Amino acid sequence: MKLTELFDKGEFVVSSEVGPVKGCVRDVGGEEPVCLKEARELKGKIHALNVTDNQSAVMRLGSLAASIKLKAEGHEPIFQMTCRDRNRIALQSDLLNACSLGIDNVLCLTGDHIALGDHKQAKAVFDIDSVQLLHIAKNMNEGKDMMGNELSQPTNLALGAVVNPNADPLDLQIFKMESKIAAGAQFFQTQAIYDPAVFEKFVKRVEGFGVPIQVGFVMLKSPAMAKFMNNNVSGISVPESLIEEMASVPKGGRKEKSVEITVRLLKEMAPMVQGIHFMPLGWSNLVPSVIEQLDLKN
Amino acid sequence: MIGTVNKPFEEVLESISDYERVGVIGCNGCAKVCKTGGEQAVDTMAEKLKGAGKDVVLKALPDRTCYVYKTHAALDPVKDEVAKAEALVILGCGGAVQITRKVTEDYGLVMPVKAALNSVGHMDTFIEGELAMEQCQECGDCMLNDTGGICPVTKCAKSLVNGPCGGSQNGKCEVDPNRDCAWVLIYNRLTALGELDRLRKRLLAKDWSLMARPRTLNIKEGRVE
Repeated sequence: MKLTELFDKGEFVVSSEVGPVKGCVRDVGGEEPVCLKEARELKGKIHALNVTDNQSAVMRLGSLAASIKLKAEGHEPIFQMTCRDRNRIALQSDLLNACSLGIDNVLCLTGDHIALGDHKQAKAVFDIDSVQLLHIAKNMNEGKDMMGNELSQPTNLALGAVVNPNADPLDLQIFKMESKIAAGAQFFQTQAIYDPAVFEKFVKRVEGFGVPIQVGFVMLKSPAMAKFMNNNVSGISVPESLIEEMASVPKGGRKEKSVEITVRLLKEMAPMVQGIHFMPLGWSNLVPSVIEQLDLKN
Repeated sequence: MIGTVNKPFEEVLESISDYERVGVIGCNGCAKVCKTGGEQAVDTMAEKLKGAGKDVVLKALPDRTCYVYKTHAALDPVKDEVAKAEALVILGCGGAVQITRKVTEDYGLVMPVKAALNSVGHMDTFIEGELAMEQCQECGDCMLNDTGGICPVTKCAKSLVNGPCGGSQNGKCEVDPNRDCAWVLIYNRLTALGELDRLRKRLLAKDWSLMARPRTLNIKEGRVE
């Protein structure tokens, strides 16, 4: 099911995210791969599941293979595609692959730089950027490759993009968002945001664009994790007050505290937009409880 | 200029391990600016090679080794010494090594021409003798007119041409927090110039075929072939 169909029906769309494992997921007995286990914890609770593409430039199971595996297990995958590792030929081919194998949703991203990952000596591709990828994917939905050659069967993919409400200067981020919309973006997921006032300012600027937005949220695990994100994760800013709040509870109470903060902030931010995108980073089992407490009905 | 840095001396020595009589040729152009070529660097290399037991039979300093006629001008008068050497060690960029190789071929010599430097890019010098930076990678389709004179193809780590990635934070790049985000620089510059509208021009995918190597420049007719 394409996410665009849900947005068109006026559904409040909730998605989450899993990162494919570093290894195969073929069923050879033994323990279930973490990404499949996490996905199972979310089954029936969310509309769709982002499947990351060698996130942080760390080599793992590919997003497409993991997306297909998850689809076979009854999930609705959002196939993430970055421009870091493939040129325009490979990206277009993978859009055909994805559609042919039953994928309905694709999220087009630039991709973290190779310098952040575990293969720092690799040659970065970045043949095209996320705006151009959206443009190419839109044209492929309309039956043409980027050179204008006819496709024997067009793709039929809902096209997602990302935007960072924390960005400074915000104008530049909004300019890029507009470029993405002009290029073909049909829905947006935001970078994790923890400041409802900052988010409101962003939403006020972009609500006129008429493209649905899901507020992105990474659940805080500990004060150290929040500080780590502030220092190392691009485009995330966790306010000091939340770090202190996490620090105010003993280790054993952190999950409960994290759920409480998540529910509190999302109760403020979710009504401003058309959906939520969770990035639970291993805490997928807490997402259903957050959703329940948010009491999302519209 | 073409930026260069020294290869480890052991690596240079290994490359000429089978030869005793060597010539040292140091470029007096870009490499001199980088302090890796020029007279002083040639003398230092010659001394080190002597110290390692080599017989240095020639020292030469072409003005710009990448111009074949300037290298000829420097080597033609010492052609006999070149012929006496079993190998040449070049303190210059990769182009200098290959032009020198061509000159030896012009002399009818078959001899190894070895690189003593690593070439690290087309560099612009900001502080003489101290600092140079890459600002242009000769993409063949200059977009500086739309980007406030700041090149995103070179100065953005991902060569993005439609605005910054999600990794731009506090005006800095995700690859190196000490490096300015090229797109924030472009934005600020276009704002100051009153040319922000140029950002609205969504830029299509770059034609990298213009960078397909090796390119040949027909100087006479002013075109790339």
